[in-house]
Amino acid sequence: MNDNARSASEGSGAERGAVGSKAGSNAALRWQRFKFQLRFLLAVLRARPMFALGYFIVISVIVLGIFAPLIAPYPPETANPEDFLQLPSWKHLLGTDATGMDIFSRIIYAPRIDLTIAIAGTAISAVVGSLIGAIVGYYQELRGIKSFISGFVMRAADVLQAFPVFVFAIALVAIFGQSLQSIIAAIAFVNAPIYLRLMRSQVLAIRNMRYVEAAYVSGASDFTIMLRHIIPNSLGPILSQLSVNIGWSVLLTAALSFVGAGVVAPTPEWGSMIAVGFQSIITGQWWPSVFPGIALALTVFGFALVGASVEVLADPARRRALGGTLKQRAAEAA
Amino acid sequence: MAKSDESRWLPDRRTVLKGGAALAGAAAVSGGLTVKEAQSASPAGTMVIAAPATPQSLDSEYDVSLGTFETVAACYDSIVEFEKIPDAGNAEARREDIKDYPDRPGRVNMKGKLAESWEIDAGSKWVRFKLREGVKSHDGNELTADDVVWTWHRKLALGAIGGFYCNTIDLRRPEQVKAESKYVVSINLDNPNPLLLKLQPNLYNPIYDSKKCKEMASTDDPWAKKYIENNVAGFGPYRIESLVRGQQAVFKGRDDYWGGAPKMSTVIFKEVPTSANRVQLLQGGAVDIAQYLQPLELISLKKAQGVAIDTVPATFMLWIELNAKIPPFDKVEVRRAMNFAFPMEQVVKTVFQSIAYPLNGAMPDLYPGFNGSYFEYKQDLAQAKELLKAAGLEGGFETTLAYNAGDPVQEPTAILYQTALKEIGVKLILKKVPAATFYNNVSERKQPMIFYYDSPWCPDPGYSMNLYFHSKSFINYSNYTNAKVDELIDGAAKTADMDARLKMMDDAQKIVMAEAPWTFGVFTNYSMARRADLKGWTYYTSNNIRFQDFYRDA
Repeated sequence: MNDNARSASEGSGAERGAVGSKAGSNAALRWQRFKFQLRFLLAVLRARPMFALGYFIVISVIVLGIFAPLIAPYPPETANPEDFLQLPSWKHLLGTDATGMDIFSRIIYAPRIDLTIAIAGTAISAVVGSLIGAIVGYYQELRGIKSFISGFVMRAADVLQAFPVFVFAIALVAIFGQSLQSIIAAIAFVNAPIYLRLMRSQVLAIRNMRYVEAAYVSGASDFTIMLRHIIPNSLGPILSQLSVNIGWSVLLTAALSFVGAGVVAPTPEWGSMIAVGFQSIITGQWWPSVFPGIALALTVFGFALVGASVEVLADPARRRALGGTLKQRAAEAA
Repeated sequence: MAKSDESRWLPDRRTVLKGGAALAGAAAVSGGLTVKEAQSASPAGTMVIAAPATPQSLDSEYDVSLGTFETVAACYDSIVEFEKIPDAGNAEARREDIKDYPDRPGRVNMKGKLAESWEIDAGSKWVRFKLREGVKSHDGNELTADDVVWTWHRKLALGAIGGFYCNTIDLRRPEQVKAESKYVVSINLDNPNPLLLKLQPNLYNPIYDSKKCKEMASTDDPWAKKYIENNVAGFGPYRIESLVRGQQAVFKGRDDYWGGAPKMSTVIFKEVPTSANRVQLLQGGAVDIAQYLQPLELISLKKAQGVAIDTVPATFMLWIELNAKIPPFDKVEVRRAMNFAFPMEQVVKTVFQSIAYPLNGAMPDLYPGFNGSYFEYKQDLAQAKELLKAAGLEGGFETTLAYNAGDPVQEPTAILYQTALKEIGVKLILKKVPAATFYNNVSERKQPMIFYYDSPWCPDPGYSMNLYFHSKSFINYSNYTNAKVDELIDGAAKTADMDARLKMMDDAQKIVMAEAPWTFGVFTNYSMARRADLKGWTYYTSNNIRFQDFYRDA
């Protein structure tokens, strides 16, 4: 190897070293940032206990759903007529229903269905609605076919939202058949206009920002501008809406099951459990419907609280205000 | 901060709370008053009924909805009726005497209703009725033989439910129903038919006021379908004063009814779709009768003060159709296996709270000729597995059971069945069908398994067996076909020799029970939930109430 070659080799080695050290410092920076965010989050949760309660409920529901086969004392779909309509006891913590199925086991299995449907339906609606909303917002008030299509999409969304959501969802399930996929599709369909409007309003505000104009004059395509500059900066309200919407979708899933348009019996699902159980309240057997009702209410409440926290944390102004409050409290405490 | 002048006039928190408490108290008091009012009995001559639905079409030719049964029974009369006898197991209830009387004409214990007397051919080829004179319709027209003739001609012409009855008695041509004189009418058949007289008291064989109907008919509507759909034109004890579908129907007793004015001069038939609400209304005294309650509700009402529950054996049967045209139910072994797997005891005990009992035959056990000894399907999973093995389905199979979302007993029954079938390797998928479309699903015969709840309205073994098991019957929803069974049913329909008919129907029951076209469910009984001071209830094979039977204890 000659000198030139050696020096080139050393040079490249030095460069590699520089890159390596840069990568290392980036990782450290990321770790620092993560630690800061975690500390901030913990401080927020301490300052706002209702947020903490929301996260606790949601995480508990998810964990119970995941580990249901390990926790549930009885199979959730097997009738046991010898033990029908038993009051809550040590043998059956939350009692049994009219076919002798253990209500506690069914309640902790239910999130597997309810959350799957709600999360899948909401995620699909968020992705589809947001993308359409971004396009519609981006081309709003321009002339030509793109503007016409934007207007048409908005009027179509108006028509969709004019229908009562629940009736619309029942109709969709009736058309596509009573299956998990149909319920997910129905939830996605009724929710999509919400994200469409939300994203559109965000895009309308952002598209005139200087950095968007800068991207435009630098020759970036519409697709690139939307994907790199507009959508990422419009996600805050979408994220906070997501959590609230998941809770609402759990409720809609339960409501569909309550009227018989939801999951197939005897699948453990809160709405169908309430529907089956509520008829016996008048005859004194309150437990088959009350416990699933409590589980459903708590879950929806939990997601609403998480949604509220995301709304605060995703908004830079409110986040800064909260940070200021936390610092002030810390100073007062010190 | 000092309050502004205006703000001083605004109520403070304490005032709002006080006001709220006062309002809540007032609401509670008014609620209490409402309950108190509800507890007071209806006026002596008024009866209020909480029913799942108000009548839809009032035309018995086309409509078989619940409220329509009561309307037809209250506003129309048949020519004859079965005699009433006390129920053997319930001192407060009466029932039709539908036993076989070998020594009486037509072998039935009947009395005249619109007819004051009748003659029947020993071979059951003709029957002649002498009508009561001076019987007036709702519109003041006198009953004549022409009314009976017009009624049967309408059935023949429209060919719907009445058309089915014409077929059942083998009435083919209009001239077979003849007005012999103003008050004498005859029905003349080409062949002997054992149901010629037995079918006359059927709820859906009411006699129309032909004069009124002809007035309301038009060229486009010669049989007054539009009028009869929304109005009554008969000779029964009640007329409809008002009908608001989905809310209530009000019936008024007729003072000029040939049998005397009914004791309940006003009947309010209210739609209360949820059975729990019907229970509450009955318990609170707001209604006198709550129809179609669930087993648990009936049990709880037995302890309620001022409420009486009468349960009597009935013609209601609940079963599951096993569609013989959809594999694997085309195999007798599989259908038998499904019966051996059915958790009958558990269903009776848990779902029906022991108010029902096993359906151990192919027709109501109240009917002459019923034979329960051919029932062999006590739950036996080992035998069920053996039968599946014999059918080449040792590993089990997957199938679907459709059930009615509007009938709360079907889902738990299906779940118990599903659990039992798992034991023999059969995966049962449950399909909940909305009540509004359930009977379409039944009549389409496209479901491998579907619940069915029915009762044959003529107390005759041939009639029952023909309905459900003749290959050409329109309600043979299990698609069951057996040439020998068809032959026996056809034979029993063409002879008036009752002993021979009973023998033929016994043979048919033996075959049907062995080949199991149904999963045999339960006899559900009939339960009447009423205020204790309401008397006179009579059970009819058509499983509906007739307002004219009731009176209030003094």
